[in-house]
Amino acid sequence: MSERRIKSIFIAAGSVFLFLFIITPIFWMILISFSKNITFLTGGVYKFSLSNYITIIISKSLHMMDYLKNSLVVASITSPIVLIISSFSAYAITRINFAGRRIIPLLVLSISIFPQISIVGYLYRWMGNLGWINSYVALVLPYLAWTSPLALWILLSYFSQIPKELDSAALIDGAKRPQILFRIILPLASPAVLSGLLLVFIACFNEFLFALMLTSDYGAQTVSVGISLFQGLHGEIPWGELMAASFFVTFPLILLTFLFQRFIIEGLTTGAIKG
Amino acid sequence: MRIKFHRRTTSAYIFVSPLVLIIFLFILVPILGTCINSFFQDIPYLPEKFVGMKNYLILIKNPDFWDAIKFTIFFTLASVSLETILGISFALLLNERFPGRGILRTMLLIPWAIPTVISARIWQLIYNYNYGLLNYILQYLKISDKINWLGTPQSAFWALVLADVWKTTPFMALILLTGLQAIPEDIYKQAKVDGARFIKRFFFITLPLLRPALIVALIFRTADSLRIFDLVYVLTGGGPAGATRTISVLGFQYYTSADFGMGATVSFITFLIVFGFSLLYIRLWGVRKL
Amino acid sequence: MKKTACSVWVREIKKIFSTSKGKILVLDNINLEIKSGELFIILGPSGCGKTTLLNIIAGLEEPTEGEIFFGDKVVFSSQKHIFLEPFERDVAMVFQSYALYPHMTVYQNMAFPLKNLKFKREEIKKQVIKIAQMLRIETLLERKPTELSGGQKQRVAIGRALVRTPKVLLMDEPLSNLDAQLRAEMRVELKLLIKDLGITTIYVTHDQIEAMTLGDRIAILKEGVLQQIGDPNELFYHPKNIFVAGFIGTPSMNFLSAEIIKDKLPIKNRDITIGIRPQDIEIRPPNKGIINVSVQLVEKIGDKYVVYVDYKKQKIVIETSNFSGEREISLFWPKEKTHFFNKKGERIESAKINSFHQIRD
Repeated sequence: MSERRIKSIFIAAGSVFLFLFIITPIFWMILISFSKNITFLTGGVYKFSLSNYITIIISKSLHMMDYLKNSLVVASITSPIVLIISSFSAYAITRINFAGRRIIPLLVLSISIFPQISIVGYLYRWMGNLGWINSYVALVLPYLAWTSPLALWILLSYFSQIPKELDSAALIDGAKRPQILFRIILPLASPAVLSGLLLVFIACFNEFLFALMLTSDYGAQTVSVGISLFQGLHGEIPWGELMAASFFVTFPLILLTFLFQRFIIEGLTTGAIKG
Repeated sequence: MRIKFHRRTTSAYIFVSPLVLIIFLFILVPILGTCINSFFQDIPYLPEKFVGMKNYLILIKNPDFWDAIKFTIFFTLASVSLETILGISFALLLNERFPGRGILRTMLLIPWAIPTVISARIWQLIYNYNYGLLNYILQYLKISDKINWLGTPQSAFWALVLADVWKTTPFMALILLTGLQAIPEDIYKQAKVDGARFIKRFFFITLPLLRPALIVALIFRTADSLRIFDLVYVLTGGGPAGATRTISVLGFQYYTSADFGMGATVSFITFLIVFGFSLLYIRLWGVRKL
Repeated sequence: MKKTACSVWVREIKKIFSTSKGKILVLDNINLEIKSGELFIILGPSGCGKTTLLNIIAGLEEPTEGEIFFGDKVVFSSQKHIFLEPFERDVAMVFQSYALYPHMTVYQNMAFPLKNLKFKREEIKKQVIKIAQMLRIETLLERKPTELSGGQKQRVAIGRALVRTPKVLLMDEPLSNLDAQLRAEMRVELKLLIKDLGITTIYVTHDQIEAMTLGDRIAILKEGVLQQIGDPNELFYHPKNIFVAGFIGTPSMNFLSAEIIKDKLPIKNRDITIGIRPQDIEIRPPNKGIINVSVQLVEKIGDKYVVYVDYKKQKIVIETSNFSGEREISLFWPKEKTHFFNKKGERIESAKINSFHQIRD
């Protein structure tokens, strides 16, 4: 068999494998979420039902909507703030010659390797002392720090490609530095800004340990925490409802990802390749 | 107007200060704080007491600690190897032109996009002894009997590895794909003309040229695996009976059992391990920075 | 809105860069007095510091030492700790890459400086249109830079600079990104425009043809040190050193080593270098000139011949209007057209040298 044919076979087989690999857990989640009984595999028939979804949306004691609200609030507050803070830094780093211009990116990069467990213990005590446990502030502030490497790297790589002569021209034309950032650099870097916002937003939803330790009830607990604690009234796990809650959350996330995939992929890969 | 030139550099410092401040306050200070906490004995009902290296010494004699370290390392080895092999394979696949390639590449983002906690829960269900998908398939295809995936140490290990590989291979594959796409086609054409068959091309051209991207991906993935928490906590809780406790989980358990000092100790050691490994990698492979 | 142009005085400007490899002296004691309304050229090879100097005059970079005056206003002084930002100096600059704001239309690009000056909408519109008409780009006002050709972009860049009627106009190799023909056209246009407006202009380039055709006066810079300042004639006929002599003029001057046999100069060294321009060399039959040479290559450009000859392993270039193609010829040049340089490369006045000198092997 020629190399060509072997190749085609591999491609076909590989594609199928990849497809199944990715899709199976997702498919399973969806299947279970719409079923009345999860034991249909071991006997019994699959019964389609929307009751799981209705339960999680309506049931106050499950607090799914609260969790969702909290996640949305925290993510929506964090993303723009982190992007603005990182824009200022990225601007200074790529455009102004000052001591620390090399160190700061390295510092920020190394942050992204830190284990969360090494941070959260002290944060817990500290937030506790401030009385901030179970508040949005307790999550937003650490999140700002934790997601900043992501935002900074994307912006750095994009900003450094914008010619510095534009800055010079703008300075001569009388613009001040912040003006230059907002009226010239950011508009030109809008793909990067969009990527950054998305990636940070998704990261906030995804975050678990900080949320677990720094919140105590549905007042501020995020979706991640909610899903991890999900239990039925009698201590056993209501899989149907759990999967419904999961899909309820993941569907918009997946949708966002599909819609903006170009930006996301660019953001992720420039971040990594640059290093 | 009298203005000193250093206004330019001053504005630079002002620009970076919010970022540096936030990172300082909410990451650097906590790490330092954890380090300091590790030198104190801090348990309920007793006042905090400075004990120096006592926590560390206790920990060294504690078999749980070494089990956790062993587990974490083995887990990392297994997970990162599998991800890399699968990641390269997927990247190679997606580098080829074929119908449906775009869709597959988009789908690659799915595992990455869903929260780890949710994926852990899904796998928890898949691994369920009675009505899990995996056991069903195994029985249906007559490969084996039902396996108590989360109930025995060995199977739990592989259960975790598989779940982690599912979640993180896409990221690896994407990075490697970008790396692959950066290799000019002409090199392959030349190699084909020179008579190199696929395997040879792979090892002598692809792999070396992929090296920088691979190294970066490996550093991040290894650090991620060493410090893993979310997946383990939700999927196995560190069980059965602490058999799948990674060092992060161990630290967490000390914290939640109110042995704050010990929790800090394990946490700080975790930091040292992860950081140390990363520095080691960088030393070994001399990654050139900006 | 017409302002009077002003003079520019650059006094003892020094710029030192500290790099990880040590300190580099980029500009060494630059002194320039540019007259009001003058088209002043700073000419030199790449890396000589000319762009740095321009940036310093603009206020984009800070010198280590020195002073700069626009008219009688101190714009920079290291002793008095004065440093005015570019905007405060009322300068405008045209960049080599044009540096147009890609996301703004031509109109918005040109309006930007006026907005920062807090002009009213009406005034901005009037002024932008006026300048656009002057540069014949009024039909392009709604386009974005990516939709423009190189020549059009350049006009927009110039328009953006002129729209504020600055005191001083700075140009950093504005023509080097254009193709040869466009460059030649733009040169003429640019000169007419600048002279018409009467703005003091400082123009940086590495192209000596550009410098010689455009400039009222030219300053030649090499590795941060000023070599000579003068009008084109001075530079062409009385270059102060070998560098200037070789840099100005195409094809470049020929240099030969020589020895003084008899002289009026009380110099100890006899070794000098003589320079002759290709246009000043006469081709004669063998043994009828100063040296005998063999022809290597002949190029015909237009109606001129460029003849490359070899003389004892040294290359000499001659430009002449007729050449009959012999292989062995001799060369002659008059003493008045000969340039003499001492061992250090500095010019020696020919009057001081006796007519006897001999070409050394």
